[in-house]
Amino acid sequence: MSESQNGQAGMLTFEDVCEQWHQAFDNLHKFNRLLTTDAKVAQTPKQLLWTLNKAKLYRYTPVLPTEQRHKIPLLLVFAVMNRPHVLDLRPGHSFVEYMIAHGYDVYLLDWGIPGPEDCELKYDDYTLEYLPRVVRKLKSVTGANEFSMLGWCLGALISTMYASLRPDDGLRNLLLLTAPLDFTDKNAGGFSRWVSQPAFDPDKIIDAFGNMPGEMIDAGAKMLKPMENLVGSYLNLWDNIEDPSRVEAWHAMNTWVRDIIPMPGAAYRQLITEFYKENRLIEGTLTIRGERVELGRLRANLFNVIAESDHITPPCQSERVMDLVGSQDKEVFRVKGGHIGIMAGRGAEKNTWPHIDTWLAARSD
Amino acid sequence: MSEKHEAMNIFDPTGMLKSMRDTGMEHWSKMMTEFVHSDAYAEANAEMLNVWLTTSSPFRKAMETAVDQSLSAMNIASRDDFMRLADRLTNIEMRLDDLDAKLDAWMRQQGTQHQG
Repeated sequence: MSESQNGQAGMLTFEDVCEQWHQAFDNLHKFNRLLTTDAKVAQTPKQLLWTLNKAKLYRYTPVLPTEQRHKIPLLLVFAVMNRPHVLDLRPGHSFVEYMIAHGYDVYLLDWGIPGPEDCELKYDDYTLEYLPRVVRKLKSVTGANEFSMLGWCLGALISTMYASLRPDDGLRNLLLLTAPLDFTDKNAGGFSRWVSQPAFDPDKIIDAFGNMPGEMIDAGAKMLKPMENLVGSYLNLWDNIEDPSRVEAWHAMNTWVRDIIPMPGAAYRQLITEFYKENRLIEGTLTIRGERVELGRLRANLFNVIAESDHITPPCQSERVMDLVGSQDKEVFRVKGGHIGIMAGRGAEKNTWPHIDTWLAARSD
Repeated sequence: MSEKHEAMNIFDPTGMLKSMRDTGMEHWSKMMTEFVHSDAYAEANAEMLNVWLTTSSPFRKAMETAVDQSLSAMNIASRDDFMRLADRLTNIEMRLDDLDAKLDAWMRQQGTQHQG
């Protein structure tokens, strides 16, 4: 029996030191592995239905028989600056898995990873070239005339523009998650403040790089909360390195965070100039391929999810749209949490997903 | 074992400094967040980026021109050539997608007629 086990706390035996040495070495090895390897993410079985350029439409394999499923299919539209895997992070903690288990026929639009040849892609293309084709394919495959659409972050921006420009395409329900739509307040959030500076010129960035490099987007997002993202996240991992469930969750999230992609140059230029700086969507002056985007024409049932502690899309950027849309059935749902946390954090399964399901289930048959 | 020696694990420096770290972390976090959300930071950041992009632009353009001329002289396709080709392929994909949709619609129509 060692001295410490005899109750003489503070005295280490040689045996204890060796054990601590081994444990520390194991932890360091594990820490290094978690930082430098990828976890298995996006594992829910799915089938590829359609492709165009880099974009892909998938259908997740249903787990419930047809008669137990909702009639209206659900299309997920993620942002163009990240991979959509965060919607299906890991088995047992996946929004996609949750919705399938609750009887939805779930489809995912993955915008893909843009290459140098995609530098001229704009929101015009996403909204009026890609998304209508995806909807056409979705309706053709399902045989349904109506569908629901869930847009997250910039995916919500594209979804909102599409819903306003094509109100007769069969969109019954529109769910917006942390939607950056209103840029009236130039001091709300770091991004608005940074890009509103007269010296910040997106044209020069795009002239230099062609596309907006994923590394710059990632660095910008991390600098919004530098200590939490650059230090706190890793300390959190180290503190919990012997807790397998916390480690698994951290590894999956870090895998998604590390999987950075560029944004097409023209889309980035448009985002900064027409949305962030000129606020055209909310001002009613936005024109997409010659068509004016009027939010009043958006008639789909609307569920607007706002993260109260969102530092990427501050709540004020998502709120005003509710007064401008033409929807009769509209609801704002506020969740405590951050931009990603409300959908992929530990509390998402209790605080966000059930509310989305409840609202959507009542409108999906 | 590890529980008993948690307070004095000599191979866990972050553990030994944990209390000090936790006290300082919140303070640092608040201070840094306030700093990056200040107008001074935004202005300095934009200016630095602007200066870097402006000063590097002539060198970058000279390099691009030299590479393009070299590739052209050797009859090798440049990045612009590949980009134009990719653009044409995407246009062809779109036409095929339209044809596919028309075929789908026609087949559904035929199916409905047969059932009728």
